Amino acid sequence: ELLGRSHITNAFKILLFYVIFYGCLAGIFIGTIQVMLLTVSEFEPKYQDRVAPPGLTQVPQVQKTEISFTASDSKSYEPYVKNLEKFLKDYSADQQTENIVFQDCGEMPTDYKDRGPYSDAQGQKKVCKFKREWLENCSGIQDPTFGYKDGKPCILVKLNRIIGFKPKAPVNDSLPAEVMAKYSPYLIPVHCAAKREEDADKIGTVEYYGMGGYSGFALQYYPYYGKLLQPRYLQPLVAVQFTNLTYDVEVRVECRAYGQNIQYSDKDRFQGRFDIKFDIRSS
Amino acid sequence: MKKEMDVDDHKLELPDLEAKYSTSITKGLVGAVAAERLLRDGPNELRPPRGTPECVKFGRQLAGGLQCLMWVAAAICLIAYGVQEGQGDRGSADNLYLAIALIAVVVVTGCFGYYQEFKSTNIIASFKNLVPQQATVIREGDKLQINANELVVGDLVEIKGGDRVPADIRIISAQGCKVDNSSLTGESEPQTRSPECTHDSPLETRNIAFFSTMCLEGTATGLVINTGDRTIIGRIASLASGVENEKTPIAIEIEHFVDIIAGLAIFFGATFFVVAMVIGYPFLRAMVFFMAIVVAYVPEGLLATVTVCLSLTAKRLARKNCVVKNLEAVETLGSTSVICSDKTGTLTQNRMTVAHLWFDNQIHTADTTEDQSGQSFDQSSETWTLLSRVVTLCNRAQFKSGQENVPVAKREVIGDASETALLKFAEVTVGTVSEARGRFPKVAELPFNSTNKFQLSVHTAGDRQLLVLKGAPERVLERCSTVMIKGQELPLDAQWREAFEGAYADLGGRGERVLGFCARWLPAGTVAAGTDPEALPEVAVGLCFAGLVAMIDPPRATVPRAVLKCRTAGIRVIMVTGDHPITAKAIAAAVGIISEGSETPEDVAARLRVPLEQVDPRQARARVVTGAELAGMEPGVLEGILRAHPEMVFARTSPQQKLVIVESCQRLGAIVAVTGDGVNDSPALKRADIGVAMGIAGSDAAKNAADMILLDDNFASIVTGVEQGRLIFDNLKKSIAYTLTKNIPELTPYLIYITASVPLPLGCITILFIELCTDIFPSVSLAYERAESDIMHLKPRNPRRDRLVNEPLAAYSYFQIGAIQSFAGFTDYFVAMAQEGWWPLLCLGLRPRWEDTHEQELQDSYGQQWTFEQRRYQQYTCYTVFFISIEMCQIADVLIRKTRRLSLLQQGLFRNHILVIAIVFQVSIGCFLCYCPGMPNIFNFMPIRFQWWFVPMPFGLLILIYDEIRKLGVRRHPGSQFPPAGVLCPPPGAL
Repeated sequence: ELLGRSHITNAFKILLFYVIFYGCLAGIFIGTIQVMLLTVSEFEPKYQDRVAPPGLTQVPQVQKTEISFTASDSKSYEPYVKNLEKFLKDYSADQQTENIVFQDCGEMPTDYKDRGPYSDAQGQKKVCKFKREWLENCSGIQDPTFGYKDGKPCILVKLNRIIGFKPKAPVNDSLPAEVMAKYSPYLIPVHCAAKREEDADKIGTVEYYGMGGYSGFALQYYPYYGKLLQPRYLQPLVAVQFTNLTYDVEVRVECRAYGQNIQYSDKDRFQGRFDIKFDIRSS
Repeated sequence: MKKEMDVDDHKLELPDLEAKYSTSITKGLVGAVAAERLLRDGPNELRPPRGTPECVKFGRQLAGGLQCLMWVAAAICLIAYGVQEGQGDRGSADNLYLAIALIAVVVVTGCFGYYQEFKSTNIIASFKNLVPQQATVIREGDKLQINANELVVGDLVEIKGGDRVPADIRIISAQGCKVDNSSLTGESEPQTRSPECTHDSPLETRNIAFFSTMCLEGTATGLVINTGDRTIIGRIASLASGVENEKTPIAIEIEHFVDIIAGLAIFFGATFFVVAMVIGYPFLRAMVFFMAIVVAYVPEGLLATVTVCLSLTAKRLARKNCVVKNLEAVETLGSTSVICSDKTGTLTQNRMTVAHLWFDNQIHTADTTEDQSGQSFDQSSETWTLLSRVVTLCNRAQFKSGQENVPVAKREVIGDASETALLKFAEVTVGTVSEARGRFPKVAELPFNSTNKFQLSVHTAGDRQLLVLKGAPERVLERCSTVMIKGQELPLDAQWREAFEGAYADLGGRGERVLGFCARWLPAGTVAAGTDPEALPEVAVGLCFAGLVAMIDPPRATVPRAVLKCRTAGIRVIMVTGDHPITAKAIAAAVGIISEGSETPEDVAARLRVPLEQVDPRQARARVVTGAELAGMEPGVLEGILRAHPEMVFARTSPQQKLVIVESCQRLGAIVAVTGDGVNDSPALKRADIGVAMGIAGSDAAKNAADMILLDDNFASIVTGVEQGRLIFDNLKKSIAYTLTKNIPELTPYLIYITASVPLPLGCITILFIELCTDIFPSVSLAYERAESDIMHLKPRNPRRDRLVNEPLAAYSYFQIGAIQSFAGFTDYFVAMAQEGWWPLLCLGLRPRWEDTHEQELQDSYGQQWTFEQRRYQQYTCYTVFFISIEMCQIADVLIRKTRRLSLLQQGLFRNHILVIAIVFQVSIGCFLCYCPGMPNIFNFMPIRFQWWFVPMPFGLLILIYDEIRKLGVRRHPGSQFPPAGVLCPPPGAL
């Protein structure tokens, strides 16, 4: 009798042993994790050494960082436009009416706005308003296609959110001349240029729109207090419009944010900069 | 075998022989002809059995079971890389990188294994060609000394005492030539060689001397009739190579184990491949998962660990005079249950030594120890003075010159074995022999011959002459009329004759070779110098009997202890010898192969005073079987005898019968070790599970066929080997258990990754580092662990039942310790993730977005946005944290593996220094990998925070405590069921 009673009781015993054994282990595991979570603040991460310095990203979010469309074909750029529209919805004036949440931080770049400790002792923190109108041609208010129908595509540039991160404005002399043209000590300037030297003449004119006409991120939007304290935080944006791109060739553009604590890395091509490819077909 | 000998040269007349080999029996060959023949027949040496070609050996290292799996894994990686590359998905070189790493692992471990094998075969190669043998050859009438391997058929050679016969030769002329054919036929008596054909069979006839046998004395001239592999010895040697090598037990164990592992790896891989496909992963991804699971599950470092452990033991054994040819033989020795041992040289000292003397009607015991440390006898009697004088003078042996500073026992002597024994005995007991001989110059002598059976000489002693005579006791007694007792010459009456007979029978019964000694004073001038020796016996009558001297080849001092050790270790020692049954039995009794109180059927018959036929052999524990009895036995009878009598001695056996004995033991399920030295032993050595050749007395053929070589020819060394073999089996078990455990914490990250879609906690490269870098050292260091209990008090393991890896061991390692380690790893992983901003619940299901290379703003639990590269480094941090967790737990694991039953505190935490060093080294490598700059981009290791080292430590402590509790349970309730029964119940000794 191979599968006699003793075998079944035996198998049952083994099963019971493992249920208890793994039960205990799982208990220890869950207990340890719970204890660990108690030591981790809800509002502020324990360490940020992996996430800082911040990445620089663009809207529309595109696969393979390539924007490719035909100006005359609305279907070809529809995804970009939709993506931009969706992103900017939170920036519409009608979304920023609640005065409990939003605060008017002025029209010009100013210094950081510290809002106290990282805890909910004083409830949620206020958030600076960012007016969509500042983006002018790229705001989608006058031109719902963001310039795509004219072959003058807009992109929005933003700095990744990092709790407590205070970007420092760059020192004067380290900047390209174009950036220096409109300098403010409370600004993280953004500048886009051809990635490769030979593309320099294909880029044409680049227009920047942002707060107070500055091409950059104003410091009063920093620091960020996290999604619990600032659930409706609005990242400062810079809109970049390429008004005279050469058609039918791939043009690679690199945008950079400049700041003393914004670095670039060969490994991470999205740290403090990004590059994007334009391929606008004439027909 | 004898049928195949188609030699008829011994029957040919000399002129026919000359014609056949177109040579001259006076002038020899012409140089040019000889050169031509050398070119045609090749050199005169035994070609070593053709080994496997080197490239095949290397290929085999690359094509083992696990290696094949690794090749498949590498191929999958390459395909995945190729497909991704084809899709234009740049920057995913990870798969290519991994494929290269896998191939490197296979090749490197292959090279390592090959090197180990190569090294161990090389030890043997160094044994050969130690001294190029020389031969005296006559060519074109000139006597030349040439290397023996340049001899060709038709050469005329001369041999003399002390030479090794350089080829098969037909004797043309001989003067008192005797050869020792024992390595060929097993006959230990010297054989006379002369020009006459005396037998039809070439093996029996006197006029052929065989290649590689020793010429003991005399000289001879002969014609070379066969060289190299065509000699009789060469043919036997090639026959031996036809006996298939059986797989060693450890090879079977490892194969068994690799099969299980490979099967499980494929099973796990396939299961999760299906699961992945069902969940909806693309085919290629699922294949990569399969590959990753195989890499995680296969213990890549295991074979290297086993090889290193075995070669460490082999080195240790080499220091104790056991050279192991085949690494795996180390363990085979440990599972040995029967040792078939030679007598001469292995159990005994291989030198005739005076053991007893009978004078003054009393048996005196001489000192037979190797270093003369034993007790001597009373030497004050006058009789002793006479006896010692006879022993000194009536002896033709002499020391080779220039050995004054060498201990007597070790001096080289010219002369036969018994004369040597007497010479050394005299030198030790009386004093310088040459001086005594100088005082009594020899006048005439008659050497020993087989018709007289005695030897006599006449010496001048002042104004008298002294006639001394020694020989076979009965012949000596015939010539005596008086006997000396306490210095008095008494007439030799019936009473003294009876006393003599009693002493003679007593000594003979002890298996000793007995010689009688007598003397007589003669008036000066009785024998003139130059008297015909044949006339001397007429003078030698009416002598005075001095005494008897008995000689034996005494057992080595270390052997009785070693035999006892075997007995307690459950190993049977069977003596197989070509010697006389009586001598064999005496030695067997002396060393304990026949234990005290055990009786043979003959003893029983003698005790009960009944004829032998009426004795039921089963009443007797011991039994001596002769070769003649063996030859008449039906197949199967021998097995019955082996089963019925635990103590066996085989005497008068031929080397061929040795093979039969070995096979019978094996049919009884025993793992048999066999010792041997002759060429004819080589089939038995090959057939045995472990063949042990003698380093000093052994022939090349025997060494070739053997798995192990005893450099000191000492039986006790085998027992040391057995002990080491058992220890290494125990320790290998520990090593393997240690190695297996970490496969679970390596595997679970993938399982959770696939099923719960968390970011990958542990990468393939990291796994390879654990397997092949950090964990190798502790697992090897377990080979240095000392035995937990006296392993020589246990029975040999049963190869069918006591496996290297059994279910309880695997279940305990995998499902208990491995599980704890996995939890440790995941705890540390979630801690590292949460502290960087990714809370555990967010991680679940995060994988697709986490791994999306175009997602540059993935939000963590705090709303922070991460670029892909930032996430990647975070993932590497997780790898490193998981790696450190496994390392920390493995430290606890190696500590618990030190013992299987004893508490860690009983065994001593730091007693094994190598293990402590290995742990320190392991941690240092861990630190290096973590904190060396550049590691993140080369090997995916990140510098991790200090506190993450401590997260897994409580789990390590848990492992220690849990295992201590288990061991406590095992000790308190031996054989009981703790933890619960079935696969979990570790029978004592299973874990």
